[in-house]
Amino acid sequence: MSPAFESFLARLYVERPARERFLADPHGEAAAAGLTADEIAAAVGIDRVGLELAAASFAHKRRRQRRFAHPVVRLWRELAKRVG
Amino acid sequence: MRQLKNDRVGLTWQPQLAAAILAAGDRIDLVEVIPEGTFLESPRAHRALRRLGREIPVAIHGVSLGLASTSAVDERRLGQFARLIDDVQPDCWSEHLAFVRAGGIELGHLAAPSRTPTTIDATALNIDRAARAIGGYPLVENVATIIEPPGSDLDEQTWLRRLLATSQADLLLDLHNLYANARNFGFSAADALRSLPPERIRVIHLAGGAPVRASTGDERWLDDHLHDVPDPVYALLEIVGESVPHAVDVVLERDGAFPPFGQLLDQLDRARAALARGRTRRMAA
Repeated sequence: MSPAFESFLARLYVERPARERFLADPHGEAAAAGLTADEIAAAVGIDRVGLELAAASFAHKRRRQRRFAHPVVRLWRELAKRVG
Repeated sequence: MRQLKNDRVGLTWQPQLAAAILAAGDRIDLVEVIPEGTFLESPRAHRALRRLGREIPVAIHGVSLGLASTSAVDERRLGQFARLIDDVQPDCWSEHLAFVRAGGIELGHLAAPSRTPTTIDATALNIDRAARAIGGYPLVENVATIIEPPGSDLDEQTWLRRLLATSQADLLLDLHNLYANARNFGFSAADALRSLPPERIRVIHLAGGAPVRASTGDERWLDDHLHDVPDPVYALLEIVGESVPHAVDVVLERDGAFPPFGQLLDQLDRARAALARGRTRRMAA
């Protein structure tokens, strides 16, 4: 498996719109990401229950990290969000 | 990691538990510290950890290097880690067999890699990079996964065995991760444990978890570090005591939903007892 496949998985795990597009058209989205034929087959056959639960778990962890971040870090993140 | 004379049992360092840990005396043999964020970069935090190490043996446990990736581990993070290890001089350091970022996306947690020969080679290369930067090999930890890692053509134990055969890094075996994966994907955790090379197992993690349910109604077991260690995990620890020929460290991981501290100490005592039962069987064999 390639860095491109890892990036594709990372996007599926973290970004809800990317996940929704993928679930609607797994082959098309995997092909559009430039994956190899083997990687496309692996993406199409993904463990969908696991994907849903993993995405929820990762989101929960990120929320928890944000909640426990140092106040200065939280301030910078807030400013960065506002600046866009 | 230095050779131990006796098995030791401890737990993850949490600021909320600091006073209780230091007051627990001989019931806690070591603590494991997860040095992230400012803790990783701050010289003051390094000094505090060094002082802590004079009170009780300290192990450093990384969560953000992302060693099990087809991309090279980040040199800047390795540099931070190297400074920390140099300052604190822990008993050992460890990191997970996971990828945590890819294509500019931070997962914020540990993702199991595709289990393939390619990821074995890439992970071994990253472990070598880390060992060069830090001056010693990490212990590498098997991870829990709630999704069958996409693109895998090896099972978890085969991937782990081949990685250990390829790399000089020894294993931090998380028994709850093994239990969770076995439960989620239908294999025997005990058989999986027995298939691993016991001479490469150096540290053991214990933790708890809970069931989670998908919209389809399917249920999986989540390694959340918020619950007590389930009974089958102690049974796996007995197998460790029976099969591993040298002394090991056992660390209870608890990240929140803390019970009264006495309950955590009771779990450490249960771990000692399980390990001792295994040791007794080993002596009798």
